[in-house]
Parts: sequence; C-alpha cells; structure tokens
Amino acid sequence: IETARIFDFEEFPLRDKVTYMYYTGRLEVYNENFSAADHKLSYALNHCNPWKERNIRMILKYLIPVKLSIGILPKTSLLEKYNLTEYNNIVLAFRRGDLRLLRHALQEHEDQFLRSGVYLVLEKLELQVYQRLLKKIYIIQKQKDQNKAHQIKLDLIVRALKWLEIDMDVDEVECIMSILIYKNLVKGYFAHKSKVVVLSKQDPFPRLTGKAIN
Amino acid sequence: EAKEEGTEAAQQWEDDWDDDDVNDDFSLQLKKELESNAEKK
Repeated sequence: IETARIFDFEEFPLRDKVTYMYYTGRLEVYNENFSAADHKLSYALNHCNPWKERNIRMILKYLIPVKLSIGILPKTSLLEKYNLTEYNNIVLAFRRGDLRLLRHALQEHEDQFLRSGVYLVLEKLELQVYQRLLKKIYIIQKQKDQNKAHQIKLDLIVRALKWLEIDMDVDEVECIMSILIYKNLVKGYFAHKSKVVVLSKQDPFPRLTGKAIN
Repeated sequence: EAKEEGTEAAQQWEDDWDDDDVNDDFSLQLKKELESNAEKK
C-alpha cells in the first residue's frame, strides 16, 4: 500500500479509476466522511460508462444517501430511471418534513438498506427532517402573526409530532431542539422557563447545501 | 468537473429545493392540526 504512493492516480486507465473511486467512496460512507464520499462517488458517477445502467445504479445506491446527508436531493426522474423507488418516500419525507413518512419508508425497505449498509446513514436524516418540520411550523405561525413567529412554543412542536404519531413530551422535544441548535440546523436559543424556542431573526434555518452536519 | 460525456445521472440533483411554500397537502393538514389544537386550549 505504501508503494502505491509513487504512482500517479491519473496514469491509471479510467475504468480502474472509476472502480477505485467507487470502492473507496463506499468506504467513506461507512466511515461517515460524507464530503469525501460525495467526491469519490460523484467521480465514479461522472466517469463511468453511461450505458452500463447496472453500474450507475450501484453507485447511486450509495451516492443518494450521501447527497441527502449533505442536504441535496435526487430528482424524481433519476429515481425512476434507475429504478431506485425505495428512495421515493424518503425524498418526499425530506421535502415535507414528514417524520412519520420517513420512519415508515425506512421500515418498509429496512432489509434492503441494511444489506447495502446505508441504513444508519438514512436514519440520521431525521435531524434534517425535524429541521424542515420546525421550519414549516414557523412559516405557518408567521402567516398568522408576523411579530411572534420567531417564538415557537415547545407545546406546539409536541402536538405536531403527536399528529405524526411520534410520542414525545416537552423535555424530549427540548432535547431534540438543542441538538438541532448544536448541529447548526437551527439558529436560536431556549427560554427554558417559558418552554419556548426563540429563533434567530436572521436565517433561522441554515441550509446545508453540500456541507456535512458537523 | 463533470465532462460532457459523463452520465446524465450526474446532473439529476437539486441542492436548492427548500422553499417557503406551505400550500402542499402535508402543510395544510399540519396547519389545521396546529390551529384546531390551539382552540382547544
């Protein structure tokens, strides 16, 4: 392995480079280095034989969870073309902030995701879906009352979650909110006594667009 | 970085998908839920 360093990556045949990037990319997925995984798997996708659908599908099986982790969605046309329908509901849940749908989709294709080893990666998407849900609550609140919109009662979040068949009490919701704030998915702070999340007035829901969470 | 001959799959991504639209079914139901609960209180 040490001697490999004297070779220049660029000197290898393209198909070998693609294969190398595919496997090392998968390794990065397991190690949760999503930026590196994105770089390597995207290289494989960009340079592989465009007529080998099976290979493209294999790359996408890993690249899609990686892209989701950094806040980038595959288009529906992509999922259809390569028959990756197991991701349909996950992407929909992501867009909506629908935690119930995310959980169902994970459950439905559990075997498949476990086999390919992306289950844990997908499970972690929950945080982003929480962010999206909170953002929706915020926007809905803003439509009613512009001035108070940046103060969200934890109670309200508890209700939204209950509606999504997720049973959590105020303390648990507070815990989730603090993770979101810590991970910089939400900008704001708690008014612990009044059980309210106070959102920053400026960009309260930072987008990931290509960056990994922490 | 993506070359011309690269697969079209390489272009099928949206990084700017997040919008403020709350008129989809899911959001409308969420809204209804939040408001009906508010009344009960």
